[in-house]
Amino acid sequence: MDAEAPRAAVSWENGTLAPVDHLRSDRADSPTPGLVEGTEPGAGQKSAMFVRAQSFEDLTAESEELIQREAQLDKPIESAEELEVLVGEKSIEEQHNNDVASENRTKEEDVSSEAWRSHRKHVFVLSEAGKPIYSRYGTEEALSSTMGVMMALVSFVEAEKNIIRSIHADGCKVVFLAKSPLVLVGVSRTCQSDKELLRELQYIYYQIVSLLTLTQLNHIFQHKQNYDLRRLLAGSEYLTDNLLHRLDRDPGLLLSAVTCLPLPSSTRDVVSSSLQAAKAKNLVFSILLAGDRLVTLVRKKDQFLHHIDLNLVFNLVGSSSSFREGEGWTPICLPKFNTAGFFHAHISYLEPASDLCLILVSTDREDFFNMSDCKQRFLERLNKRSAYQSLKEALKCPSYSVEQVGIPELRHFLYKSKSSGLYTSPAYPVVYQTDEEQERLMGLYQDLHSRLHHPTRPLRSLYRCTESENLMAWVTSGFELYLCFSPLGTKALAVSAVTKLLKWIRKEEDRLFILSPLTY
Amino acid sequence: MLMISPRMASGMQEKQYTPSLLSFFIYNPTFGPREGEEEKKILFYHPSDVEKNEKIRNVGLCEAIVQFTRTFCPTKPAKSLHTQKNRQFFFEPEDNFWIVMVVRNPMIEKPNKDGKPPTVEYQEEEILDTVYGAVVRQCYSMYKLFNGTFGRAMEAGGVELLIQKLEKFFYRYLQTLHLQSCDLLDVFGGISFFPLDKMTYLKIQSFVNRVEESLSLIKYTAFLYNDQLIWSGLEQDDMRILYKYLTTSLFPRHSEPELAGRDSPLRPEVAGNLLHYGRFLTGPTNLKDPEAKFRFPKIFVSAEDGYEELHLIVYKAMSAAACFMINASVELTRDFCEQLDSLVGPQLTLLASDICEQFTINRRISGPEKEPQFKFIYFNHMNLAEKSTIHMRKTASVCLTSVHPDLMKILGDINCDFARVDEDEEIIVKAMTDYWVVGKKSDQRELYVILNQKNANLIEVNEEVKRLCATQFNNIFFLD
Repeated sequence: MDAEAPRAAVSWENGTLAPVDHLRSDRADSPTPGLVEGTEPGAGQKSAMFVRAQSFEDLTAESEELIQREAQLDKPIESAEELEVLVGEKSIEEQHNNDVASENRTKEEDVSSEAWRSHRKHVFVLSEAGKPIYSRYGTEEALSSTMGVMMALVSFVEAEKNIIRSIHADGCKVVFLAKSPLVLVGVSRTCQSDKELLRELQYIYYQIVSLLTLTQLNHIFQHKQNYDLRRLLAGSEYLTDNLLHRLDRDPGLLLSAVTCLPLPSSTRDVVSSSLQAAKAKNLVFSILLAGDRLVTLVRKKDQFLHHIDLNLVFNLVGSSSSFREGEGWTPICLPKFNTAGFFHAHISYLEPASDLCLILVSTDREDFFNMSDCKQRFLERLNKRSAYQSLKEALKCPSYSVEQVGIPELRHFLYKSKSSGLYTSPAYPVVYQTDEEQERLMGLYQDLHSRLHHPTRPLRSLYRCTESENLMAWVTSGFELYLCFSPLGTKALAVSAVTKLLKWIRKEEDRLFILSPLTY
Repeated sequence: MLMISPRMASGMQEKQYTPSLLSFFIYNPTFGPREGEEEKKILFYHPSDVEKNEKIRNVGLCEAIVQFTRTFCPTKPAKSLHTQKNRQFFFEPEDNFWIVMVVRNPMIEKPNKDGKPPTVEYQEEEILDTVYGAVVRQCYSMYKLFNGTFGRAMEAGGVELLIQKLEKFFYRYLQTLHLQSCDLLDVFGGISFFPLDKMTYLKIQSFVNRVEESLSLIKYTAFLYNDQLIWSGLEQDDMRILYKYLTTSLFPRHSEPELAGRDSPLRPEVAGNLLHYGRFLTGPTNLKDPEAKFRFPKIFVSAEDGYEELHLIVYKAMSAAACFMINASVELTRDFCEQLDSLVGPQLTLLASDICEQFTINRRISGPEKEPQFKFIYFNHMNLAEKSTIHMRKTASVCLTSVHPDLMKILGDINCDFARVDEDEEIIVKAMTDYWVVGKKSDQRELYVILNQKNANLIEVNEEVKRLCATQFNNIFFLD
C-alpha cells in the first residue's frame, strides 16, 4: 500500500479549478499500480462535472475567491436592485409557508434546562449588532441575551486586533465564525475538531447566502445595522435545520462530494443525453436526482458547479415536500458560483410519487415556461428510448450491500474519487441500523477525516483499533478511502482489503460513478 | 522571543518565532465584585509593567469566557480560549482562584518591500492544549510544593501575604518556563525510574532504613541516581512534583562542580574532605564554615489532615542523591548536619560507585548500543513511570528531542485520542514525511513508537512494534 505514497503529497497544495481531461487509455486495469489523479476508480473520462473540490480546505479557505463567471454567460445575471425586488420580504415565506417541516419545528424549549444544554450540537447565527437570526434549539427571543454575550466576546477580542476562534471545556467546545455581516457560533459536545465544526458553520453561512445573496445581505445591514433578519428568513429555518441534520449524517458533506444512484452505464448515458438534448438558451445546469443521489448532471460548457452549491440544492429539494405538488420555480443563489446574484431553479418530480426530481437551473427569472418545456422534451425523449423503465427499475435498489464486495469483517466504507468529486458507499449494515449508531459511525469517519486533513500535520494513512471496530483511512492524490472493520479484523486483512476493494470499485465503476459527464 | 531559523526567502529574511509567554496572571473574582474595584481581583500579573486598565480588561475577558461557558456546561469549566494570535489557558486550582497563562502562537514574520511593516502569519494549529494545560497545572503544583495552598496563605496573612508569596515565587519561576520545548512528557509529568538488579536495590533499601533509624528526625526519604528515581517514601503526586523540581531545577544548578576537576576551586567542600564525596545541595555549602547557616527550603506535602510542612535536605555524592525530609517544626542545627554528613557521606559514596559498577555490567550484557530503528515514549499512569528514548538529557533550560517537532505533535494528537475514551486502543499513522507513528494504550499504560522505516507497510510496522514490546516490555500486555 505504500507504492503510491510519495506522489500523494502533491495533491494538498495544487487546488487548481480547471478540470483535466483524461482519455480512456490512461486508465490502468489494476487500480493500484500507477495510480495518479484522474485515473483512480470512478474518475470521469472527459472532464469533471464540478469545480475541483480538493477537499474541505476549499470550504475553510479564508479568502473567498470570487470567480467572476457571469461574463461568460449568454445573459448576465440581474443587477442587485432587481434582485431585491425579487426577494421581497415575503417571497421566501410565501414559497414555503405551506411546508410541513416548518410547522414541526419544536423550538419552545426552556433554554436554562438541562435538556436544552445537553443537545449534541447547538448552532447560533446572529448579526454583528448581536441580533439573533437563528438558533437550532430554543427560540431566538429566549436566547437573545446569550447571543448578545457571544457578540460581545467577538467584539472584545476584535478590539485587541485579534480574532476569537474557540473556547474549550472538557467535553464541550464553542467555535466562532465571523462572516461579515453575520456571526456564527457552534456549541458541540461531539469529538469533532474545530476545523470540522467551522466547516459546518460555513455551510450554514452559505445556506443563508443562497436564500438572499451576499450582496443583498450586505446591503441590508449597511442600511440598518440592527435589522432583524428573521423577517426575511422567516419560514426558511427548516432549511438550516435540515442541513444541520444532514451534516451529522451525510458523508457527502464531509467528503465534499456527492454520490450517484447505481445505474447501468447504458441507461445513465441515455438519461444524460436526453437531458443534454433538452437544452434552452439560459439553461446552465440540468440535474436529475433520485432522493439524495445524483442520477446525472448536464452543464453548460465551461460552467462548473461547486459541490457546496450542489449540496445546497440537494438540501433545498430534500427539505421540502412542496415541490411534489407541481412545478416549483424558485430563485436560488449558488454562493460558490457567484454570491452576488440569483439563479432560478425549476424543480419538479418526474412523477408525484417518484423519487426522481429534476432541477433545471436558468439565469433568467422569466424562464419558467421555457424550463417547463425543457422538462417535457426530456420526458418525451426518455420515454421514447425506454430508458425510463430501466431507470425506475434501478430506483428499487438505490444502494448496495457491503457483502457484495466480498471482504470478510468489512462493515462499511467510503470511497471518494478526487478528480470526479463523486463518492460511493454501501448501505449501512445491520450493526449500524439505528440513527444513533449511524451518527456514531459518521463521527468516527469525521474523526479520521480531520486527522488525515489536519491543516499542519496531515497524514497519509491512519489505522485505529478500538474495542468496537477497527478503522482505516488512506489518502492519495487520486482518492480518499475510509474503511470500517469489525473488531475481529486484523491488520493483514485490512491491507489486503484495500487492494481488493479498489479492484471491486474499478470493476463496478461505470455503475457507481458518472464516468462521462455531458455538457450542452 | 527566540528566533530559531532565519530563512532566506527570495533574498529577504523571514523570521520564525516559537511560542512564547505573553502573560500570566492569577485572580479571584470575589475580591473585587463592585464596579471600580476590579483591580482588587488581581493577585499577580506578569508582566508587571502592564497598564492597570489593560490588566483589568484581560481579567474581565477571562471572567466573561468562564461565565459564558457555564451557560452550556455548568459543571465543566472553560479550559482554554483560542484566538488568532494566542491561546489562553484557564485553571481554577482552588475555589474562585483562577490561574491564566497566555501563550502567543508561533509566527512567521515576512518582511515587505518599500519599508512597509512586515507581514505576520500566526501558526494557529501548533500549540497543543493538553501540553500547555499541563504546564499551568504544574505551575500551581510547584507553588504549592514550596508555599502550600493559596488558602493557607490567606489564613495566615490575608490577601497581602498571598500577593507577597505569589510575587516572590512566580517572579522567578516564570523565567524557568521554556514554553517552546514543552511536549507530551509535560502532559504525563512522569518519573523516570532507574533500572536496577535486586541486590543493589536491597542495598539501597537497607541504607535508607539504617539512616532513618539512626536519625529518627527523618520522616521521609527519596533516593535518586543519575536523575532517575530508585526509592521514595512520599505520596506519588508529591514525589512527582518534587522529582520535577530536583531534575529540572536543583540538580542542573549543581552539576558543574562534579564535572570540574578534583583540584578545581569550584569544589571547595570536597577539597577539605577526602573520606567521601558527599555534600549538601540544599542548606549549608560548607559545614566547616563558621558562618554557615543551617536553613533548608521548606516543602508542603499531603498528609492525612491536609498537608504537612517539611525541611528538604538534598544530599549528593557523585551521581547518587538522597532527599531527607524532616518536620518543619524541628529546628535543624549544625550538630545534626554534621552527624548526617558523617553518617551518610561515606555510605552514599560507596553506594554510588556500587550502582555505577552494576550499571556498567548490565550495559555490557545487553550488548553494544546500536542506533535502533525506532524511538519510543512509555508512560504508566499507575506508578507514573515514564521512559523516553526520544528525549536527550532534559536540562533546566532546554529539552532536547531527537525527532522533528511535528512528529512530537502527532504523538500529542494520539494522546488526545486516547484521553477521550477509557478503552484500550491502538493507532498507527503514517505521516507525510513517511515516518510511522504507533500509539498503544492498554489498561493504564501508554506506549508511543516512532519508526523510521519509510518503506515498511502496516504489517511490517506492526511486527516491528511487537518485537519492541517483547524486548523492552516483555511483561506488559498490549492489545494487538
